[in-house]
Amino acid sequence: MRDRFPICIALLVLTLALAAAAPAAAQAPRLANEPVLLPVAADPTVAFKVAFTIGSQNDPAGKEGLAYLTGTMMAEGATRKHGYPEILKLLYPIAAGYGVRVDKELVTFSGRVHKDNLEAYTGLLLDAIREPAFNDGDFARLKQRTRDFIEKTLRYSSDEDLGKAAFYGAAFAGTPYAHLNAGTIAGLEAITLDDVKQFHAKHFTRETVVLAIGGGYEPALVERMLRELALLPAGRPAAVAAPTVQAPEGRPVMIVRKPGPATAISFGFPVGVKRGEREFYSLWLANSWLGEHRNSSSHLYQVIREARGMNYGDYSYIEHFPEGGQRSVPPPNVPRRRQMFEVWIRPVPNDQALFALRAALREVESLAKNGLTQDQFELTRSFVSKYCLHYAVNTEDRLGYAIDDRIYGVKSPGHLEGFRRNLPRLTREEVNAAIRKHIRPDRMWVAIVSEQADSLAARIAAGTPSPMSYGSPKPEEVMAEDKTIEAYPLGIRREQIQVVPVDAMFAR
Amino acid sequence: MRCRLLIGLLLLLAAPPSWAGVFPYTYESNTLDNGLKAILIPMPGTGLASFYSVVRTGSRDEVEPGHTGFAHFFEHMMFRGTEKYPGPVYDRIVTSLGASGNAYTTDDYTCYYMTVAAADLEKVVELEADRFQNLSYKEPEFQTEAGAVYGEYRKNRTQPFSVMFEAIQDRAFDVHTYKHTTIGFEKDIAAMPTMYDYSKSFFKRFYRPENAVLIVTGDFDAKAVMALIRQHYGNWKKGYQAPAVQAEPEQQGERSVEVAYQGRTLPMVTVAWKGLGFDPSSKELAAAALLADLTFGETSPLYRELVLEKRMAQRLFPGFRLSRDPGLWAVSAMVAGEQNVEAVKTAIDQAVARMQETPPSAEDLEGLKRRQRYSFVMGMDTPDRVASGLARFVALSGGIESVEALFTAMELVTPEDIRAVARKYLTPARRTVAVLKGVQS
Repeated sequence: MRDRFPICIALLVLTLALAAAAPAAAQAPRLANEPVLLPVAADPTVAFKVAFTIGSQNDPAGKEGLAYLTGTMMAEGATRKHGYPEILKLLYPIAAGYGVRVDKELVTFSGRVHKDNLEAYTGLLLDAIREPAFNDGDFARLKQRTRDFIEKTLRYSSDEDLGKAAFYGAAFAGTPYAHLNAGTIAGLEAITLDDVKQFHAKHFTRETVVLAIGGGYEPALVERMLRELALLPAGRPAAVAAPTVQAPEGRPVMIVRKPGPATAISFGFPVGVKRGEREFYSLWLANSWLGEHRNSSSHLYQVIREARGMNYGDYSYIEHFPEGGQRSVPPPNVPRRRQMFEVWIRPVPNDQALFALRAALREVESLAKNGLTQDQFELTRSFVSKYCLHYAVNTEDRLGYAIDDRIYGVKSPGHLEGFRRNLPRLTREEVNAAIRKHIRPDRMWVAIVSEQADSLAARIAAGTPSPMSYGSPKPEEVMAEDKTIEAYPLGIRREQIQVVPVDAMFAR
Repeated sequence: MRCRLLIGLLLLLAAPPSWAGVFPYTYESNTLDNGLKAILIPMPGTGLASFYSVVRTGSRDEVEPGHTGFAHFFEHMMFRGTEKYPGPVYDRIVTSLGASGNAYTTDDYTCYYMTVAAADLEKVVELEADRFQNLSYKEPEFQTEAGAVYGEYRKNRTQPFSVMFEAIQDRAFDVHTYKHTTIGFEKDIAAMPTMYDYSKSFFKRFYRPENAVLIVTGDFDAKAVMALIRQHYGNWKKGYQAPAVQAEPEQQGERSVEVAYQGRTLPMVTVAWKGLGFDPSSKELAAAALLADLTFGETSPLYRELVLEKRMAQRLFPGFRLSRDPGLWAVSAMVAGEQNVEAVKTAIDQAVARMQETPPSAEDLEGLKRRQRYSFVMGMDTPDRVASGLARFVALSGGIESVEALFTAMELVTPEDIRAVARKYLTPARRTVAVLKGVQS
């Protein structure tokens, strides 16, 4: 147990050593941020992350999607040296590539290559970051793809992600977090190629870049990468204030009217804990008990799926967790200064939607009121203390976590080590105190995707009971509990319910 | 017991000289008296261990009418516990281990996996051995789980590609069970709650040691783990009953299907040819795997034309999946607007015709082979990825040797072999063409 995260420690020691040993170059430009290094001598591959401390929060008003489009053009477009088809040809035989993740506060380019091919790869990666061509063809292709993603995929082919996006949009309305990372339809329409070029020059600078390298590399590689990235333009973009978000009065509901046989539900409220703080690990533990992602240990999963067979899964979060349908553990490099407690109910049959909402809300309220029992606390602590081993199983993910530590300001030895250090010392009382302080479901946003939007709105407002019926016998205790759930008070007034046609979502 | 340097040997055979011994994983393959095979791949220093149970039964084995989707449904039931470890107890133990685990079902196999701290591997062996031999559940639990499966079906139905492949498999096959997708037809899913007795027979027929393979990877002592496997699985009784999967007759002429997606989406085009069943030593199969990328991959002239230059397609990708029996070799495009559907179909035809006419350049073929080798090695970096990367090979062939055989066959493929496979298999008479459009688009 004691040596569980030796690599993270080595990484930080090395980072500090390199910083101390760096010669004070007279006039040569240098990066504002020290590199993150994770040497693994036996690894035949090298992993890279080149992150920029900017994101979709930096999109100018009316040009939502600009950071996303810029990052995507860098990762999937031509450079001044090579056309994009040529880049694909060069990367192909070395089985390498570089992708980009654009989030609210961070744009991260990631890739990995066998060390046989380092020279060829790093040249292409650096070109993409420093010297993108930003040509008309790539612009038209990627802009249209982004638009189609919003208009076709998100609005019509992915109810689960639509529900989550609706929730986040409502919760962060009026802030730089409100729009999708991919932007809005109007914003994308307004963006010109010149906007992209200017955004790149202003935001992808040597003041915003963080270089991270891990695996079987030689020190000379780090020096070269630092030297090359120091040729990025200078400049620090204007700081974007963290969104100010207060929990709403009551429980405003957004129902997205969209045809389909099933209903997706998300709800939640702001949660003000931060990685590295002891209280964060208390709340993480509590949330793990309530709704560990893609895990049958989740209490919500047990209540809604396991006992009643209503859907495919039910989870909750205290940090943003994108790509929930594809990933089993949290992705690195989505750091945010404002986080939501969020419940995700995967699609349920339309006629069970109201019951599912009540069942989930009742469980959250029960947790807020009663906290965890000693048994629940101990079992979940045992679970999290081991499960966190899966969060970063390879060098690339460890690099990602190390970058996030920088962004969150988590001190050495970092967030992952924080689980190991904090969990054994936590007490049930401490966890329950964190629950009482932060789990406040009396004030929350609810987002629902349903074709029965109007009748659902009416039933929610009227508090109409939502009795369940099953095609198979259920245990007596389940049937008895159903009686309580079906009439569980929602406390939502009609004027708090907004019905939005799906085509109006993400329009501007 | 056999102990070999699979990947090291593979690289010696396949890679540039400097690659020798880069990934010196050794492995042991042992077969118990009851037919259960266990493949152990120690990866010292990782601190983790992955335990994969591969049952060589998937939706291919659903031969009885009205039971499509049952292999997948049964996968769900495997989490309902035993007399020794009833569902809640099993869940509690797995929770206390902090295991990262789940299961999935495919056309040809079902896979259960768990990754844990290496020190907990012993408990995992005991738990998994118990549920594979002593699964026990009551009818109400069975019926409740059917609801969760229906929920998974509903989730999938919002994805146009799922709808597309359900239609194209149905159209392309007449009698073989590849006619249905793994999740099954909706009417069969709706009827699942009535099939409790059938589920018991399903377990008895298919969940048998001679139809299963264990893959264990990670930080452990192989001898000790093998002893545990013998201890806990040694009494598992034989009794596998192979299903009578009907061979698909040779397709006589092109087929097509138009698919209506109940929503809004970009149109999609899939062209799927009848392929070959898995034979790792088959040069034709190896050539087909390479042909797919050369003709439809992201460095192909077709991709460049449709996606990057003319922008008539937003996505284009091949899907020549390895399958136990002859399955479908497909190329799919997400088309940028209905006005481009015919042009995309024509461009796919032309790309196939070009490959049938002119072999790929030796340089392109060598580049692809090189890519395959690097991809394989780079994918082997964690216990979970090693085990998951091998699972399909193990399921299709029963062992790990097929990986080496297929890569060796690939090395021998020439440009002319690629052209020959294109000519022989990518013919109109062997193909089904599907076009999907959104009804609200």
